[in-house]
Amino acid sequence: MTVSELPVHEERTPGRHRAGGPVLPAAVRIARWPVLIVLGYLVPVLLGGSDRIYATVVLIAIFAVMSYGIDVVLSYLGEVSLGHTLFWAGGAYATAVAAVKYGWGPLASLVAAVAVVTVLAVVLGLATIRTREFVFSLVTYAAAVIGLTVVSNNEFLGGTDGLVGVPLLALPAVGGQYVARTNAEMWPIAFVVLVLVVAVIARFRRSRLGVTALMTQMNPDLATTLGVDVRRTRVLVFVLSAPIAGVAGWLYAYQRSYVSPDLLSAHFLLFMLAAVILPGRRLLLGPLVGAAILTTQQELFSFGGDADKIVLGAVLAAILLLSPNGLVGIRHAIVRRSADRG
Amino acid sequence: MNVLDQLVNGLALGAGYALLAVGWTVLLGAARLVNFAHGQLYMLGAFVTWWATTSLGVPYLLAVPVALVAVGLLGVVMQLAMTRLVLEQNIVSLMLVTLAFGYLVQGGAALVFGGNPQQIPSPFSSANVALGSGRFTQQDVLIIVAALALYAVTFFVLSRTTIGRIVRGVAEDPKLAQLYGIDAARVYLGVFVFAALSAALAGAVIAPRSPILTSIGFDEVIITFLVVVLGGIGSILGNLVTGFGLGVFVALFGAFFPPAYSMAAAFAVLLVVLVVRPEGLRIR
Repeated sequence: MTVSELPVHEERTPGRHRAGGPVLPAAVRIARWPVLIVLGYLVPVLLGGSDRIYATVVLIAIFAVMSYGIDVVLSYLGEVSLGHTLFWAGGAYATAVAAVKYGWGPLASLVAAVAVVTVLAVVLGLATIRTREFVFSLVTYAAAVIGLTVVSNNEFLGGTDGLVGVPLLALPAVGGQYVARTNAEMWPIAFVVLVLVVAVIARFRRSRLGVTALMTQMNPDLATTLGVDVRRTRVLVFVLSAPIAGVAGWLYAYQRSYVSPDLLSAHFLLFMLAAVILPGRRLLLGPLVGAAILTTQQELFSFGGDADKIVLGAVLAAILLLSPNGLVGIRHAIVRRSADRG
Repeated sequence: MNVLDQLVNGLALGAGYALLAVGWTVLLGAARLVNFAHGQLYMLGAFVTWWATTSLGVPYLLAVPVALVAVGLLGVVMQLAMTRLVLEQNIVSLMLVTLAFGYLVQGGAALVFGGNPQQIPSPFSSANVALGSGRFTQQDVLIIVAALALYAVTFFVLSRTTIGRIVRGVAEDPKLAQLYGIDAARVYLGVFVFAALSAALAGAVIAPRSPILTSIGFDEVIITFLVVVLGGIGSILGNLVTGFGLGVFVALFGAFFPPAYSMAAAFAVLLVVLVVRPEGLRIR
């Protein structure tokens, strides 16, 4: 019996069970993803293609990728990392330092961003290897806040002002360069990154590591009995999650053309947690949907900074108190109720 | 700069750290609950004290109980909203919910109290007490007295009284405790409100030392985490010792290196301790 054949407790994996859902014909199943990708790419055009729309969809893509980083740990490992802003900000800062201080191009700065956050994740992952659930959260949270104070006070990283003047994102392309001057020109890049990250997550969900992670979450004793090294799995998944958030930071540094310590603030932490939890954990497209909802509220229906804090906090608290399985949980409850009645 | 000055400063700092952490220690150790909004409750305690002294014109010593009542009521509301999660002992959800509550409180406080730094007017801040060549303000003395008194009372109540036995019983096995006719929900409520009150007290007595912002909760809670994890989860005496130790460490570190990095240095110590001795100092 291989690991992937192990039964998983159904009641604790909302969104994983297929029973009850419609069985799609093979042709539809195969065509589903290309159609979804094309439609997704055309969303800003379908919404009118204004500057504001493009800015919003680019931010949705970036914040969704950021949320996928913490999603890997939160949904599959079942641990609450409160330190993922460190990887998101680490990617953005590494990019800004490489681009502004050393004049590196986007691809070299991408490598730098991934390298920096991977090292951070290895250090933090190994240091917390023996900690239990809430101690892990305490320590990762402390790491993020310490990161904030260090970055705010470090001259090299620009202190509280951050680093300004990140150049335009210019990628080598056929016949010269593709330069993203506007959000509309940024959108193809952001979209490709988003699609690639979703593909990585889809692959991870089917991988041995993904299944093992889920098993260590559901039943660590069983996992140990079957020869799974629980600690090793935890560190591997944690380290895998960091570059995903780092890539989002890389893109954000170019999109915003500056980085500042606010990347490490509670805002982004709460945002990424809410983006995963609001739709329901362990859904492939969950973080994307969550990021889309939250970004749309903040960009197009904002009530002002402080009131938006109340909205974000209230949304996260309300969903956890009322429907811990997220919006999907609410849908399931409604479906069940109507089924009982019919 | 002499070492005695820094030791004296470190004792006052450390008493503040210990005072800030005592609620968390009891919450986690005696009831296996967490509250990530602890820092924001500290912030609210400080701001309500400021508001009561400046807007209502209440003297400082009367403003402190006003802050305690306000934050205590908020604690009751929070805990009642979370009763189901608490009875399920769903620590992961509790962490996230309290984190969300904290952010909500921070946004609300920013709307009500504004974004400017404020100074709590305390008559004790300007009065000095000399100890050798070291200098205390009376406010520092107040912090140390408050910390020692609260630790003594907490230690006594938890280890020597019926209330302490009930709390420990519920922490050990909530279902069994309920079989003996103990209302676990009420015990959790009591412990949670105690933790909220201690955070508010910490805010009211520590905050006059420096200007306050509605965003301070995010940073302050780190001190709590450092003390709680380093001192050993749930070890009251360990936390008191760690609090003072951390204060002296931060004061001495600040004398020789940029003070902005003192918390980062303390955190580095924590990482090392976690690798070498994950259970913390844990003094029984």
